[in-house]
Amino acid sequence: MSAQMDKRRPYVRSMNSWWKRDPFFVRYMVMEATSVLVALYAVILLVGLLRLSQGEAAFNGWLGALESGPSILLHVLILVVFLYHLWSWFKVMPKTLPMIFVNGKKLPADTITYTGVLLAVVVNLIVLIILV
Amino acid sequence: MADTTKTIEIEVLRYRPEQDKEPFFQTYTVPFEDDWSVLQGLQYIKDDLDGTLSFRWSCRMAICGSCGMMIDGKPRLACRTFLRHYHPNKLRVGPLEHFPIERDLVVVVEDFIRKLESIKPYIIPKEPRKLEQGEYLQTPAQLEQFRQFSGCINCMLCYAACPQYGLDSKFTGPGVLALMHRYNADSRDGGRGERMALGHSEEGFWGCTAVTYCSEVCPKDVDPANAINQNKMGSAIDYFLRFVAPRGAGK
Amino acid sequence: MEVFKADVAIVGAGGTGLRAAIAVAEADPSLKVALVSKVYPMRSHTVAAEGGAAGVVQDHDSLEYHFNDTVGGGDWLCDQDVVEYFVAHCTEELTQLEHWGCPWSRKPDGHINVRAFGGMKIERTWFAADTSGFHMLHTLFQTSIKYPSIKRFDEYFCVDLVVEDGRCQGVVVIEVATGRLTFIQAKAVIMATGGAGRVFRENTNGGIVTGDGMALAYRHGVPLRDLEFMQYHPTCMPGTGLLFTEACRGEGGFLLNKDGYRFLQDYGLGPAEDKPRNKYMELGPRDRISQAIWHEEKKGRTISTPYGEVVHLDLRHLGERKLRERLPLIYELAEEYMDIDPAHSPIPVRPGIHYTMGGIYAKLNTETPLPGLYAAGECAGNGVHGANRLGSNSLVDIIVFGKLAGVEAAKFSKSTQFSNPAALETQAKAVQERAIGLVTKTGGKEKHSVLRREMGKSMENGCGIYRTAAEMQATCDKLGELRERYKNLDVEDKSNVWNNDWLGALEVGYLLQVAEVVAHSALNRKESRGAHQRLDGYEQRDDANYLKHTLAYCTGDGPPRIEYQDVVITKSKPGTRAYGAAGDKAEQERKKEAGHG
Repeated sequence: MSAQMDKRRPYVRSMNSWWKRDPFFVRYMVMEATSVLVALYAVILLVGLLRLSQGEAAFNGWLGALESGPSILLHVLILVVFLYHLWSWFKVMPKTLPMIFVNGKKLPADTITYTGVLLAVVVNLIVLIILV
Repeated sequence: MADTTKTIEIEVLRYRPEQDKEPFFQTYTVPFEDDWSVLQGLQYIKDDLDGTLSFRWSCRMAICGSCGMMIDGKPRLACRTFLRHYHPNKLRVGPLEHFPIERDLVVVVEDFIRKLESIKPYIIPKEPRKLEQGEYLQTPAQLEQFRQFSGCINCMLCYAACPQYGLDSKFTGPGVLALMHRYNADSRDGGRGERMALGHSEEGFWGCTAVTYCSEVCPKDVDPANAINQNKMGSAIDYFLRFVAPRGAGK
Repeated sequence: MEVFKADVAIVGAGGTGLRAAIAVAEADPSLKVALVSKVYPMRSHTVAAEGGAAGVVQDHDSLEYHFNDTVGGGDWLCDQDVVEYFVAHCTEELTQLEHWGCPWSRKPDGHINVRAFGGMKIERTWFAADTSGFHMLHTLFQTSIKYPSIKRFDEYFCVDLVVEDGRCQGVVVIEVATGRLTFIQAKAVIMATGGAGRVFRENTNGGIVTGDGMALAYRHGVPLRDLEFMQYHPTCMPGTGLLFTEACRGEGGFLLNKDGYRFLQDYGLGPAEDKPRNKYMELGPRDRISQAIWHEEKKGRTISTPYGEVVHLDLRHLGERKLRERLPLIYELAEEYMDIDPAHSPIPVRPGIHYTMGGIYAKLNTETPLPGLYAAGECAGNGVHGANRLGSNSLVDIIVFGKLAGVEAAKFSKSTQFSNPAALETQAKAVQERAIGLVTKTGGKEKHSVLRREMGKSMENGCGIYRTAAEMQATCDKLGELRERYKNLDVEDKSNVWNNDWLGALEVGYLLQVAEVVAHSALNRKESRGAHQRLDGYEQRDDANYLKHTLAYCTGDGPPRIEYQDVVITKSKPGTRAYGAAGDKAEQERKKEAGHG
């Protein structure tokens, strides 16, 4: 007890594979990962645009490639990921908005999320109807 | 008192800097009542089994913010977590993640305190007022703009839930940024401009990547993720306003 | 040994200590303040205060009413000059906190809202939902950051005062993180260490409320005053003793016995009405209500639980919405800790120790008999609360007298010089040796946790809601035994870093000393008044012999020496203390009498 030397020796823990520690972090990482497929889809569309600029044959070739088995599989995957991305995006949305008060009561986070999802679904349906 | 026949095994992460090279788990068998909190379990260990186990605690009612720790991997207040929810399984208790371990369940919190002090967490009056003039008028609606964010008990569970802080402790972190927002959003305050220099920076709101686990673990529903992320919008608006109105922007 | 020089050292950084520190800083920014606390300031027990803080604001209220409520509530053991100063400064201090950002609950027009509280004639309790103490503490802590002259010693544990030349000249503290001791040399020292509720087993207090400052002052010859008056709060959680605020009743909650009957009407607090009425029924003072619960238990009209007999706190009729808005913490405590939804089931409650009315003898201006030493807040016995404190008076006590202590200590420090540190350091080194000796000593057999438990149980047996000489004597004997056994202590942990086995042992030393003062003061007071009620032939208040403060002096290694001191009576002659309809009648008679006189 008499030693005046500092006996503190704080132990710093490693952050290695921190995201595996909690399911919440895993979900977060999956959500972040979905953006890779979102980006991939953007690339596919850009390639289509490029092909279009190269003439009808090129564009048809691109369309043909889309109809291949692996491509359809990829697009189904992208669709699923998109749906998850949509959900998780609106799930975070209430955190990004200033508090909204309706009749003096705070608008619950779920209301914001569900309204957002509903809106996104409706907009997509309208676009789909116009396209088809 | 009811008979104490039930027991639970508690594995506690021990680290005594003067004798242990690194932390290790030590298991204690604790008899308990159904209404016992994890804190009461630890107190039993301290009083009856092993006086050398160190942890912080005081109020026992989830308001002083002392007893935050990792309980089965989740940041929780030991006084508001109950042993019966884990029984008959065993239970693992460790110090809060992302902070250096001082000893056993005690973490070093100096960094948190420094951050709290750095954001001017006090009213910088918009209009100074003398005591003789009485209170500032503040409607319940104005109070609601910050009331939730003033409920932070500084338990630091949100820091243990924030990988961003764990990866780079320069990030100001959820609790303190929520406190900054609490003062910015107070109708009596005019100090937003002074505080936002830090708020705008990488260490401030922009350091957050919206994991949002902080809000999930907050025992007082402060929702720090909301305080931070709504400010990204404000921060961005301030940034663009600089070009339009060079003087007094964002005040 | 490290030495830090401060103009003013403050021990304790709860509401009192923080308010005092700010007062010193505002009085003169050149004065160096050392603010010592064994926990980070926001952990201090002010944080747990729920209901609110009293300050006259309504037009139909007056300082005189607040004065009368406080003096009557204290069963005329209050020093009336102190109370007069107190009530005159409450509102100003609460407004100051408002200016500093305290989120007080508001009325629709933006003004401060007030609620009803026990023993208060008019609603005057400012509140921030049911976490008023929490908000006051955080506001004060955060505001204190503004002042660069305040040097905080967070997580430093005070082991002793240094007294030289008949004057208090500093404190010796342990840095918890390293186990190192520091001598803080100071021209003035303020004690702001809070109460001593932990001398009892079942209490509402945090683990840190161990009477440190009281014991330290006592050891240096400062008398402890009126410590026999320990407040039982009537509505606590069985087992843990956690608090359900009086605001539950202020908002309209009922207390029911096992037959669902509002039993308080049988104890001179009625008649029972549906709406809460000030100073009636559930809005009676804490001592009376706790005593009524005791009687109900004797009559077999309480409910048995594994943690003893309980009554019901019924909030159901208030509805979930109001409960969530006004009493959110209470809702949380009931739901999380007891699995009870208070909107649908009554809450089982029983009385638990809550507040220490007495403390370090201090005058109105907070100075103690030891020059250079000041005391304020719950650790002080300045006579503001008398024999029973009214709810919502303590949260103003801490800021009114905290500020005053800061102002007075600042003044004193400017009128004095640092003395030669050599003599002081010799003393400080002796303190260090003693403190460290507690750990390094070998061959001890006693565990401090065991002594603490035996003390708590014995205090409950002898110094509970109702007391008898035989039981009090048994407790005094037991405490004498524990004092001896404490000498044979063995501290298991021998390390330096965060050794709170060591600090716990020091705390038990403080607790034992304060407990002994409580028990002996109680045994010596042969009357019943406020929170001190006897069943052995002294059931009445005895103004002829005991309208007096108890002063307990340390006699070294033995029980305290008890003396008495007159109460300062200025304008309120001791009268019948009555509530409910009887209270109204008594007040009318007093008025009539005053009219004739």
